[in-house]
Amino acid sequence: MKHSVFASVLVAGLSCLPSGAQAPAAKVAATPAQANWTPPKTSWGDPDLQGQWPATANIPMQRPANLGNRAELTDEELAQRESQAKKQAAEDGEEVAKGTDVTINPPSYWVERGKPVRQASLVVDPPDGRIPPLTPEGKAAVQAQRGGLGPGSHFPDKVESPEDFDSYSRCITRGMVSSMLPTLYDFGNEIIQAPGYVLIRNEMIHETRVIPLDGRPHVGKGIRTYMGDSRGHWDGNTLVVETTNLKAQPGAGGGLFSDAAVLTERFTRTSPNDLSYDLTVNDPKTWTRPWSLHMPYKLDPKYTIYEYACHEGNYMMLDALTGARDLEKKGQSTKVDR
Amino acid sequence: MWQTGAINSEPAGESVVEGGAIPYKPAALEKKKANFANRRTNDPEAKCYMPGIPRANYMPYPFQIVQSPRGIMFVYEYASANRLVNMGKPEEAGSDTWMGTNNGHWEGDTLVVDVTGLNGLAWFDRAGDFGGKELHVVERFSRPDPYHLNYEATIEDPTVFTRPWKISMPLYRKVEKNAQLLEFKCVEFAEDLLYGRFEKQPPK
Amino acid sequence: MRKRLAIAAASAGLLLSVAPAWAHHAFQAEFDKGKPVHLTGTVTEMEWINPHSWIHIDVKNPDGTVTNWMVECGSPNIMLRRGFTKRSLEAGTELTIQGYQAKNGTNRANGSSVTFKDGKKLFVGGSNPDIPEDQQK
Repeated sequence: MKHSVFASVLVAGLSCLPSGAQAPAAKVAATPAQANWTPPKTSWGDPDLQGQWPATANIPMQRPANLGNRAELTDEELAQRESQAKKQAAEDGEEVAKGTDVTINPPSYWVERGKPVRQASLVVDPPDGRIPPLTPEGKAAVQAQRGGLGPGSHFPDKVESPEDFDSYSRCITRGMVSSMLPTLYDFGNEIIQAPGYVLIRNEMIHETRVIPLDGRPHVGKGIRTYMGDSRGHWDGNTLVVETTNLKAQPGAGGGLFSDAAVLTERFTRTSPNDLSYDLTVNDPKTWTRPWSLHMPYKLDPKYTIYEYACHEGNYMMLDALTGARDLEKKGQSTKVDR
Repeated sequence: MWQTGAINSEPAGESVVEGGAIPYKPAALEKKKANFANRRTNDPEAKCYMPGIPRANYMPYPFQIVQSPRGIMFVYEYASANRLVNMGKPEEAGSDTWMGTNNGHWEGDTLVVDVTGLNGLAWFDRAGDFGGKELHVVERFSRPDPYHLNYEATIEDPTVFTRPWKISMPLYRKVEKNAQLLEFKCVEFAEDLLYGRFEKQPPK
Repeated sequence: MRKRLAIAAASAGLLLSVAPAWAHHAFQAEFDKGKPVHLTGTVTEMEWINPHSWIHIDVKNPDGTVTNWMVECGSPNIMLRRGFTKRSLEAGTELTIQGYQAKNGTNRANGSSVTFKDGKKLFVGGSNPDIPEDQQK
């Protein structure tokens, strides 16, 4: 690039790979690769994964129990999901509000929906598509939150302080793993590359992971953050990212990441429009075994990530707290209906 | 309420404003004075709100510039703020945001960034200086040597200032081995300030 | 919305894709089910902010006074992707709002239904999975 005056500084680092326990990524539900297709390369020779890969796939995190070890929907089940989605889209697209079901929730058309796909659940390993149980230590860590009341929630049981809410409602972060996964809307993910770096932007909540590829060591163990500390390297055409130094935040399935947690992500572009994403969570202090998920991202060149400045406009927090104090003054119940 | 002693006091510093004074309109100057008087509670930085442009570039926290085929990414450590500078055909701001709509181009070896669509809620510093809803900032980044950037910003807002004005300062590159941004998500530090008095047990 | 989906899930063998963990933030903590509102007013301002935008409307009360209400709407990012910008909703536009008032008694309500006078939904438009991807948006 001609104007490379400020190119990100490449720090001369060791060529050894970052260490850490790594479980093999399960490939139960792999994104199909296009035959005879090699990903293009950036001008400096790295596989090009750049683009907008919004997490639109309409896939639940865990598999319904009745599906057992079956990772994909049958034709009938997929058709059922598709017809539900079609019906929902038709309702969303109606111009005129009729017989409106007025509720405390926003109208359903505020959601950005994705197409149903055949993959039955994001979790693909263990084979039943469900996050493994917590270890006794994992359970104890969860219970210890909020002085024994457990973690704050998206749907709080009481409204006494911001800590009764989860970090998403407090507009702190969705953290790792969630920032990469589907949500109701604004699930933009953009991959940006430069020599020696891969950047991953998540629209919600305006995260940017700056991932060096030079093999430098992780930061010191005393530093634990919501998005963790990521290091990347290429394995053929696959970007492998190892993330450690995670804060004790909810990972998924009710567990909190311990200081032993290692996340391994593998990004492989299998066709011009498909990015296969495999994530393995290895945290022996928290879950009884490693577990993995697969997310089939699709390229959307028309998608734009807009600023999602959450905390700055979090009227909900103010209104929920003042509302609860108001009710207390009047001697009324502050219990929140679920 | 903690007394923090000399920590959080403000030492002296020379002005970075060319000409020395910010050319406020009279009503705006009154607002600046009110901001200053209430800065402990009203500074958006104290609330962990995103710093806006130009302030993000001279906070006491580092930022990283990454040049990519998709544009030039500015990643700020403070509050996970960031902006992607579009280096293609300029785009119009669809709505007003904290970090603005950023359109960039090169003039020789100087990066020029035209920032519009700023929401007028950010301050320029801890002294209550501010811009309004018609804030327009044009930044110029140049690199005199491997270890410095020269940063200039021309600031205008006809609802607040009598004329455009300019700041300029050097920015210093972090040269530690393996220098990287760390995470500074500060919402939790600001919650007591914002919501403390509405909690069931207000903080002491 | 959640109630309808939950009923469908029970009969369809849990095939639905919306996991409660990612559902909306605590609207139940913010708004009061016991205080439904039905407002008609004119737009004075729209706050294009996240996590939810707010439409400010002047509502004429029966006694002739005017109260300014704030109505919570969706994320502006969704609207921008559908082609609506800050210039799309002009001040003075008449809207009808149905929702519930904030628990703290302020003049804030959730916009469960936000329509023009003729009943047309504001900022309508969900995603249609049948539209070929290159024609969506």
